[in-house]
Amino acid sequence: MFSGENSPELTVAVNVQDVRKTYEGGVEALRGVSLQLRAGEITALLGRSGCGKTTLLNLCGAMDFPTSGVIQVAGHVTTGLGDRQLTRLRREKIGFVFQFFQLLPTLTAIENVELPLLLAGARNSMQTARERLEWVGLPEKAESLPWQLSGGQMQRVAIARALAHTPAILIADEPTGNLDTASGEVVLQLIRRAAREFGAAVAIATHSAEAAAIADIRIRMRDGLIESIE
Amino acid sequence: MRLLPLVRQFVLRPLRADPTRTGLTLLAIALGVAVVVAIDLAGDAAVGSFQSSVTSLLGPVDFEITANGGIDENVMAKLTALPVNAKFGATIEQRVATRGNLPVLMFGIETILDPTAAVVSRDLATRFNWKPGDVVRLHAAARTAEFRIRSIDPDEKNEWIAVDIAPAQQLLESYGHIDHVEVIVGANENANAVERAMQGAIPFGYDISTPGARAEDSQRMLRAFRTNLGVLSYISLLVGAFLIYNTIAVSVVRRRVEIGILRGLGVGRRGILAIFLGEAALLGIVGSLAGIALGRIMASALVDTISRTVNSIFLTSSPGKVAFAWLPALLAFAAGTAVAVISALIPAREAAGVPPAEAMRREARQHEARVHAGRDLAFAGVACLLAIVFGQFGPVGGRPLTGYAAALCAVAAAALISPAFVSSAIHSLRGLLRRVPGAAGLIAGRSLVASLARTSVVVTALATAIAMTISVGIMVTSFRETVQIWLENRLQADIYLRAAGQPGAGVFPPIAPQVYGIVAATPGVDEVDAFHGFSFRYEGQQSTFGASNTAIMLRHGPPKFLSGDADTILRSLPNRNRVIVTEPFANKHHVRTGDVLRIALGPTQIPFTVAGIYYDYSSHRGLVIADWSTMRKYLPDQPATDIAVYVRKGVNANRVRYDLESRLADYDVSLAANEALRTSALTVFDRTFAVTWALEAIALVVAMLGTANSLLALVLDRRREIGLIRCLGADDGQIRRMVLTEAALIGLLAAGLGLILGTALSLDLIYVINRQSFGWTIQFHPPLGLLAAALFLLWIFTVAAGIYPARFAARLQPAETAHEE
Repeated sequence: MFSGENSPELTVAVNVQDVRKTYEGGVEALRGVSLQLRAGEITALLGRSGCGKTTLLNLCGAMDFPTSGVIQVAGHVTTGLGDRQLTRLRREKIGFVFQFFQLLPTLTAIENVELPLLLAGARNSMQTARERLEWVGLPEKAESLPWQLSGGQMQRVAIARALAHTPAILIADEPTGNLDTASGEVVLQLIRRAAREFGAAVAIATHSAEAAAIADIRIRMRDGLIESIE
Repeated sequence: MRLLPLVRQFVLRPLRADPTRTGLTLLAIALGVAVVVAIDLAGDAAVGSFQSSVTSLLGPVDFEITANGGIDENVMAKLTALPVNAKFGATIEQRVATRGNLPVLMFGIETILDPTAAVVSRDLATRFNWKPGDVVRLHAAARTAEFRIRSIDPDEKNEWIAVDIAPAQQLLESYGHIDHVEVIVGANENANAVERAMQGAIPFGYDISTPGARAEDSQRMLRAFRTNLGVLSYISLLVGAFLIYNTIAVSVVRRRVEIGILRGLGVGRRGILAIFLGEAALLGIVGSLAGIALGRIMASALVDTISRTVNSIFLTSSPGKVAFAWLPALLAFAAGTAVAVISALIPAREAAGVPPAEAMRREARQHEARVHAGRDLAFAGVACLLAIVFGQFGPVGGRPLTGYAAALCAVAAAALISPAFVSSAIHSLRGLLRRVPGAAGLIAGRSLVASLARTSVVVTALATAIAMTISVGIMVTSFRETVQIWLENRLQADIYLRAAGQPGAGVFPPIAPQVYGIVAATPGVDEVDAFHGFSFRYEGQQSTFGASNTAIMLRHGPPKFLSGDADTILRSLPNRNRVIVTEPFANKHHVRTGDVLRIALGPTQIPFTVAGIYYDYSSHRGLVIADWSTMRKYLPDQPATDIAVYVRKGVNANRVRYDLESRLADYDVSLAANEALRTSALTVFDRTFAVTWALEAIALVVAMLGTANSLLALVLDRRREIGLIRCLGADDGQIRRMVLTEAALIGLLAAGLGLILGTALSLDLIYVINRQSFGWTIQFHPPLGLLAAALFLLWIFTVAAGIYPARFAARLQPAETAHEE
């Protein structure tokens, strides 16, 4: 259903067209947003808390549906897809990095990286996981549990996990929000490399100027609308 | 501090916010309490009233005179001649048969006067729909008599019919004998003086007691049975205790931030403790009240089963109605509430220790109660040792209290070993778990170990319920096997006869004397062994004294003796004051071979030497058997109460039985073929344990509810984690598989621990509790195939308990949970 390869022809990984999202209780999180995420490009979403960044990321990450408008993720319109299809889309095409790392505390670093591959039933999952852990520069931490790692190391493991299945789209929600400056810089470099080396279309929601600085495109949002695109 | 708003906000609201889990917890408590109440109420009703029915007829009785083998009527003349102000009433009290061969208790008393009249208790009249004026036919031995109902006595607790003593003696052919003498001391007369005067008038061996003594005797006989049932009924409550511990522990974990906020706002540790103990108390109170109502309903369903057991094994009584009694209800209520509060103590104290700084944490920290593995294993070792030590002690006050203590120590040891058992078992299964597709096994195993304190409590609760099933299963099967082997050895006759009517424990209605001759003269009959038995009291406890032809016994399946040669022992009995006793009798009265028993037969107390002790499972009351020649010396003309017929070799036993049935048609006897008797004995045996199986099923249901509840709690606690896994690409099927794998693991671990604990408990049941309660030796015969099948079935049920939590987890959406802090 979904191709495992990132086709160079598919430059628009995510196409958002006039999307609105209203939650129960009448809260309008998005009030008509349109944008595109391209392969190999880093797009930063900037704005205050509550401007709609996270909602937009959820929609781009096929975790939710718009109330109106159209979102195409990896060439597939998400509205109308069933839960299983969305799940499969995430499994094959999308990687996530969160502010609070969100590693499973009961799994080692290598097992956390391997998890998406196990869920997808991929072969040689452990070998691939080792390669990703090496890519982020933490091969010696393979058997460590999350509580044994620093914040920066945990986020690097999270990036390795997000890239385990070579996704077409990388969604990062405040990836440096919980890190010191040095660790944050390392993480941002990895995200930049992910865009260049894996050809992933990267979307970062951030308050950080440093994170905004690595972006190819900076989108400012306010009250559910795009204020400006740089 | 205003308590009520705090209670509403911090106790009621959280319970209401989680209706499924609250409902499951309440149901588990209600079931546990219901079982306790039901066993108590049903037991009371099944046993019936032991208050002497004679009180209804004669008024309050001050003394009762009884004697082994009956009282000589001539004693009445001596008693009435005493210079005391007292009335002496000769009384016959025997079971006879009425409509449809149903047994009924018949009194023969002197105050009815009209030989054709009868007085019937309201309870009996209701059963048969009798009214004054109706004619009633009573049968006993070979005789039938008719009586017209003169009046209905208001006694609604007992079933009896009273007639004049003369026709009663005629019906029973017991001329010159009565069963007891009721003594009513006159007003202003000194009761002690009357008692002293009676002592001088009655022969040696006659017993003077107060009316309550018989009731006390009966209560004592049933004490072991009712105590054992009562202990079993508390197992469900014990399993429920684990469930409450987990419920409150989960509540504490999930509300840590809330607790931190409350502490920051000035609520002290005691306030926090009160909130969680209040939550437990509320669950206990509501659950217990529901349990009492449910228990009253369950009691009605159980009373017949328990009544049949009581009548088959212990003593004959008529079951009464299940009556709600405040005391058992209050005790069960107190027990249910206390168990809930005590179980919540540890997690509530943990909650009270949460610092205010917890409120400042942005990320909800998964807090786990620390598991002190080394310390727990050391305590487990101590508990095991204590269990072994307790098992060495004898009964306390006739009750196997040390056996129960040993069982409790074993359960405690299992609870303490559980964390180490769970983590090492999951560790050893890690290779296998990785093979479960979609990382379900990997995540399931790690999650259970990560929540080790909680997982081990669930495993222990389920293991306790499983252990109870296994231990009772092993005990019952071993017992059945032992009884079956004993039946094959002992029941060697082809046909057995006894007086018609339902057989009852401790009751030996006589067979008409002509029957023996008819049987002996029947073609095809080789040998006839008559047995005479009667109940007697020895050292204050009811037993049975019997006479048999020991030569025939020797030829046809002698009993198995604990020591000594059967041939030598049995040949030493005829014409001598020597007896053999059963193992239960020997254990109850601490009797050994060679000891001398002083037993009153009629007016004489005879010293009998114990020639041997043999294995017997026909009665836990205990049997003392002499040869007929010995019995005739002291109690001549005693009728047979049971007859065993040995058919000549080569003759068809069924034909002889049909022949006997037609020859004995005019006599009130029932015949049973050997095979039918064995089947009937085993049916009685199986019925005895019907209540036990019901109790175990309830304990298992409580444990399953606890498992479902705990799995749901684990899912709720891991919402964020589950949302994350969904984010990473797990579909609902994979999430369901993950939770079901957890359920399967819990079931597997509980089965393993339960099997070990259950085997240990079975040894306690067989070699300590049963022996101390009933005096029997049971051979150990574990039913391996049945155990394997039962364990597999229980494992399936545990996986099934994970279905609802699995479905709940699968419905969690990644967007809701992945970004939660």
